[in-house]
Amino acid sequence: MSAAVQEIRDELTSLERVGLALQYKKPDRVPAAPLVCGASSRVLGYSYARWSQDPKIATASLLAAQELIGFDGFLTLVDLSVEAEDFGQEVIFPERSTALPNFDNPFIKTADEYNKVKAVDPRKSRRMSAVIEIVRGLVEAKGKEVPTMGFVYGPLGVLSQIRGHAELFKDIIRHPGRVLEAVHTINGVLVEYALAQVQAGAHAIVLDPLYSSASILKKETWVKFEAEIFKSVADAVRDAGVPVIVHNCGGGVYFDAVLEYIKPIAISHAYPAYGSANFEEHAANWAKKVVTIGVADPAKTGHEYTQAQVLEDSRQQIEIFKIAEGGFILSSGCEYPPNGNLLSARTMVQAAKLYGRY
Amino acid sequence: MSEDKQRLFDDLAAAVLELDEDRTKELSQEALDRGYDAWETVEHGLLLGINRAGKLFDEEEYFVPELLIAADAMYAGLAILRPHIKEQFTGIARKVVIGVVEGDTHDIGKNLVRIMLEVAGFEVHDLGRDVPPRKFVDRAVEVKADIIALSTLMTTTMERMGEVIGILEEENIRSRFKVIVGGSPLSQAFADRIGADGYAPKAAQAVLLAKRLSGLVNVA
Repeated sequence: MSAAVQEIRDELTSLERVGLALQYKKPDRVPAAPLVCGASSRVLGYSYARWSQDPKIATASLLAAQELIGFDGFLTLVDLSVEAEDFGQEVIFPERSTALPNFDNPFIKTADEYNKVKAVDPRKSRRMSAVIEIVRGLVEAKGKEVPTMGFVYGPLGVLSQIRGHAELFKDIIRHPGRVLEAVHTINGVLVEYALAQVQAGAHAIVLDPLYSSASILKKETWVKFEAEIFKSVADAVRDAGVPVIVHNCGGGVYFDAVLEYIKPIAISHAYPAYGSANFEEHAANWAKKVVTIGVADPAKTGHEYTQAQVLEDSRQQIEIFKIAEGGFILSSGCEYPPNGNLLSARTMVQAAKLYGRY
Repeated sequence: MSEDKQRLFDDLAAAVLELDEDRTKELSQEALDRGYDAWETVEHGLLLGINRAGKLFDEEEYFVPELLIAADAMYAGLAILRPHIKEQFTGIARKVVIGVVEGDTHDIGKNLVRIMLEVAGFEVHDLGRDVPPRKFVDRAVEVKADIIALSTLMTTTMERMGEVIGILEEENIRSRFKVIVGGSPLSQAFADRIGADGYAPKAAQAVLLAKRLSGLVNVA
């Protein structure tokens, strides 16, 4: 049978395919869900700034991108400043790049100001309510065919966006009590934010504990300052009947601690887990314990590889994660480059159709 | 070296390693009060301490918070000692202009590289984050830098690095500077494409690269 014929024979919807993979049941083929988020703005020609702030534009763009690329799942990651802005951080919106906090004007300017962080209502605050609307829009439009994964940045990550990364890391040692108090305040809001996305119809919620990574924090530090607190968001999502997925594109993710505290059914990641030297070793250690989402290098896929290289890279990943017995979703290890080649995202989907048949 | 002097230097190194900024300042001042040579105090106290902290970072005993605070302690001691360092002891420091390119505010990696370059003896001019391409060039010209070090964590700002090199070429001053790049989404292929002189995936490798490019070590 030729590859071209195989390619068109999808038997399941994306929703069915991803649902089975998340249960370690082999679907018709490996699902492919490169994390096309901001890149979708280019499909309908909107500026990144408008895409980031107008839920109707973001929803329409994501739907158009799915139609173009054929990916098997939506992720409502707008950018990592969403929650921070609603807590009071000034955010800059470049026309053609990802929004970012203005760290020349951090909301928390000194360690004495952590108590400025106050709870907000994510259903009413500007950015988080926009993400909730995106979830609702995607589910209304495609909810029976394509899963929508909501997105919540972890409380320590949010705090780093309103204090500044380096300053927060130093405050963790110098002023642990103040940091913890702010993390708790933020986390309470994130519980509501996650539940609001569930109520808007999200099929799963992706939690991003970015600092559960050996490239930044000691494991014990992450557990104390985020895991023990953030777990309540995961518990609330599960109690609402929706699965929890973790995303972390940092180096050396502490898979053991993430599984112990957050208990996700899948982890989306870019690098081998802490303690694994490469993806072969990682797959042997972890692929049967938690569903893998990944692990394509976004920059190489979006900016460097030819289409033939994308196909081959995807084939190799599918081969490595055969050991997962169905528990694998081919994806980019981090957000697909917003300025990357969209054809390469489509090629990843084609690779799953060509090489990922079960 | 007298026992008292050695003990003070050991204590100073320990203060940096143990992240104790106040103690580091006290001991730095004490070294001056006792008439110890300022450069010797830096070399055998502050730098020894931050080097040990860097080693613990490599061994994953220390992580980013610990290294940042150790660096703060070192800088606090250096602020006290620097005005008293005799010029002939500072050697001929190679100069690096470093920063995070425009549109990106992720500066942890850049800060780690800065600390390690300073420990290795480079004179570092840190432009911070969200730095326009023109500013890199202007500062490099102004301080007669040997190296321009560019950092980013975002794919959407990678191309800014190429713009810096473009300005250097337009103004016919490209050959005066070595340009090195680093950051999570980058690769050697990207560095080659924009015409950079080198790429380093980790902070420690950035220092080796800087040393090699500035002729301080021979690396095949």
